[in-house]
Amino acid sequence: MTPLLGRVHAAMFARSFAIQGSWNFRTLIGTGFAFVLLPALRAIYRDSPDQLAAAVERHSQIFNSHPYVAGIAVGAVARLEAEHADPDVIDRFKSAVRGSLGGLGDRLVWAGWRPVCALLALGLVFAGAPWWAGAAFFLASYNVGHIALRAWSFRLGLEHGRYVGERLRRSHIAEAQRALAGAGAFALGLVLPMAMSGGLVGARPMPAWVLAAGTAGVLLGLRFGNALRTPVLFALAGFALLGLLIGALR
Amino acid sequence: MNWIWIGLIGGFVGLDSTSFPQFMISRPLVAGTLTGLLLGRPLEGMMLGAILEVFDLAILPIGAARYPESGTATVAATVAYTATTAVAEGHAALLLGVVFGLAWERVAGASVVLHRRISERILFRGDVASAARHLEIRHLGAMALDFVRGVTVCVGGAIVGTLLLGILAPLWGVHPRVAAGALLLAGSATLAASVTVFGGFREARRFFLLGAACGSLLLLIA
Repeated sequence: MTPLLGRVHAAMFARSFAIQGSWNFRTLIGTGFAFVLLPALRAIYRDSPDQLAAAVERHSQIFNSHPYVAGIAVGAVARLEAEHADPDVIDRFKSAVRGSLGGLGDRLVWAGWRPVCALLALGLVFAGAPWWAGAAFFLASYNVGHIALRAWSFRLGLEHGRYVGERLRRSHIAEAQRALAGAGAFALGLVLPMAMSGGLVGARPMPAWVLAAGTAGVLLGLRFGNALRTPVLFALAGFALLGLLIGALR
Repeated sequence: MNWIWIGLIGGFVGLDSTSFPQFMISRPLVAGTLTGLLLGRPLEGMMLGAILEVFDLAILPIGAARYPESGTATVAATVAYTATTAVAEGHAALLLGVVFGLAWERVAGASVVLHRRISERILFRGDVASAARHLEIRHLGAMALDFVRGVTVCVGGAIVGTLLLGILAPLWGVHPRVAAGALLLAGSATLAASVTVFGGFREARRFFLLGAACGSLLLLIA
């Protein structure tokens, strides 16, 4: 096994923030995956340019994952390469993890951590906090989780190599996803009364008819979910056009 | 001088949304506040950003899905909105700024698709994506192109928005309070609809109702 030094790990971790830099419809984040892995490949194949080129070629193929947990695959593949594992085994490993890492990160971050942090930040805004508080709270809270997840993923992959799947099954990710969904629903419930009462447009108190209409809007939103989004956007654009038309005709 | 800064913010916001480093300065709330701060109107920037954040909360960048890009559009809309407040009353200008921002998100989203297609050509021209040094250069080239895309979308959007709202806003003929009501109604409905992200109302109703009770109590106390 070729030992990978700490500075190689550090370079890979730093590069992992740019894993989606060359996102394209042909290989998705495949070339980004190779870009992140390059410091390890250069250390492993430093005396063999042909093997390095072949390894880069193999790792530039199609790959997809949530960017924050892609470190699990990158770390595990770096370890497999350092152990000089059979390239077919490495390819099979990548194929096996790429779908599950996408779903795992999407539920944990895009449908969990990010909306929870955003809703709490919006709560600060609607409650009348200073102008900087919402954005500062969001950036600070979100990135604590973001960077911790990237670091945890990368270390997990490096430590467990091809057995990272078993380690993942023993982790508490499913519980974390459920907890975040609950926290998100709570935060949404918390923020809605503040938004409806005028916090959304920075104007309190609003007339009773607006509050009644807001309540009706909330009930429709809860009933129809995301299907309501496009009609609402069209209605808002239509109202803006009507407002302009009324003014133009006066 | 401000246009250079707007371009720079636009570039970094465009880069942050997907390519690097995803610290989420590209979220509407942050991008709006930053742009407002740059223009000396942080409160207005924050307000516009918060409303666009409400509309974009349930948009999830999953897999190869094509979605509107909110960050760069927020920068452009904030510039247009702050310029419009001189010729239209507060909430009317805010409503027009929000509608322009939501429309420009589509243009920005299309620019992301275009960037991905161009990146593909850059990466695989002559099939040399595999050579280590070439891969690095082309990967960084695709990121640089994303920065340029962000600059173009923001500056272009800011110019279009400022001109468009500058012409249209003086025509506004409805009481600004009604504009505020329309925004509040649409925003509340969209915000409530984002319960889908957490599994839907049926699944999440206990936590949601507990949160709503706490939120209502906080409002009464305040």
